[in-house]
Amino acid sequence: MDNDLILVIVVATALAFDFTNGFHDTANVVATSISTGAARPSVAIGFAAALNFVGAFISISVAATVAKDVVDAEVITPTIVFAGLIGAIAWNLVTWYFGLPSSSSHALIGGVVGSAVAAVGFDAILAEGLVGKVLIPAVVAPILAFLVAGVAIGIAYRVVGKQRPGIVTRGYRYGQIVSGGLLALAHGTNDAQKTMGVITLALIAGGKLGADADPPTWVIASAATAIALGTYSGGWRIIKTTGTRIIKMDAAQGFSAQGAGAAVILASTHFGFPLSTTHVINGGVMGSGAAKRLSAVRWGVAGNILVAWLLTLPAAAAIGALTYGFTRIFGSGALGPILVTLMALSLVAAAFARRAQRGAPVTAAGG
Amino acid sequence: MIATLVQGRDLWQTVVASVVAGIGVTFAFSIGIWGAGQFVELSRNERPVAASVAGVIGALALLCVAAAVIVGIVVMTHK
Repeated sequence: MDNDLILVIVVATALAFDFTNGFHDTANVVATSISTGAARPSVAIGFAAALNFVGAFISISVAATVAKDVVDAEVITPTIVFAGLIGAIAWNLVTWYFGLPSSSSHALIGGVVGSAVAAVGFDAILAEGLVGKVLIPAVVAPILAFLVAGVAIGIAYRVVGKQRPGIVTRGYRYGQIVSGGLLALAHGTNDAQKTMGVITLALIAGGKLGADADPPTWVIASAATAIALGTYSGGWRIIKTTGTRIIKMDAAQGFSAQGAGAAVILASTHFGFPLSTTHVINGGVMGSGAAKRLSAVRWGVAGNILVAWLLTLPAAAAIGALTYGFTRIFGSGALGPILVTLMALSLVAAAFARRAQRGAPVTAAGG
Repeated sequence: MIATLVQGRDLWQTVVASVVAGIGVTFAFSIGIWGAGQFVELSRNERPVAASVAGVIGALALLCVAAAVIVGIVVMTHK
């Protein structure tokens, strides 16, 4: 009974995390299309939400990595997964409150790793998967997007450089409907799968699925729905966007940035690498800006992303570990997770109320 | 040990696929825009043959973009 109750709490918490992931990331997905005038905000957000939903169904490789290659599912319990999720949500909330950049994906992996280490020790960590499928791709992917976007925009300017500006701008704006759609699809497939992977890990740990099981259809559908709803809701709140924060871009730059981001995320997803989609998209935007003029890029944003890289994993891991320790004070039953959930909900409500009182804008964090 | 940890083959294939798709699609789409621009310009200058050639090149390039997108999605769904 306690086990089932904890599983219900884990699934609800994971879907809430997925919703906030979509909420935070809307800006990253649609900003480029909006800032270049390729799409009206309402159209871009609706389109992104729909393609986020579809994207969640096209692959389960990343979910398999999160469920089976980061921590040893045989020694994990649903409470450990719960504590990891709280670590991720708490870190996202802290960074959102103080306006710091963050990566929801890194927070999720960090939270689960931290709570697993606190509960079982370092034996619970699958170093090969954690380093090879998470940490190395996390560094390589944004740099790859930067280089691909930079080379692509250089080639594009050479090809269309002598054409009339009107037809070029119109052409790339039409192209951004495709590249923006692909980016939303890529975001949905990589980010929604992390939630699927965590829920699957909890179900394996709770004895509801076999060790080699894939995510059940209801898990895929609910994760897809949560991220799509989050994306749709987030678009109306988040007003500081990636496109205008990093560079002021033209339609060709927008197309190459979105194309590079989509290519890197989709290729990585195919091989099961869970990425920070925000970092990849920002890498593409910076690459397309730097290729035109180095000073056009606001390098301070790049510095913030680097800080986010360095801080997110250990901070979320520490919160995940502390959360696990707190739940254990109340034994191995459902009381600890219930108390933590109530405390977390109170803190979220207080943070939103205080932020609303201050009237500060909601800024984009990452996924 | 390091090679195993880094998942070298998968990572390398990710890099190659990203470079080919990211740069290739932008290049092909740019050719499509170039073709459309040349078609308009040459038609205005009453050079119908050259305009048609540019138009066909542009259309083929846009077909390549469409094919790349479809192939990419098909590959994603078949693993």
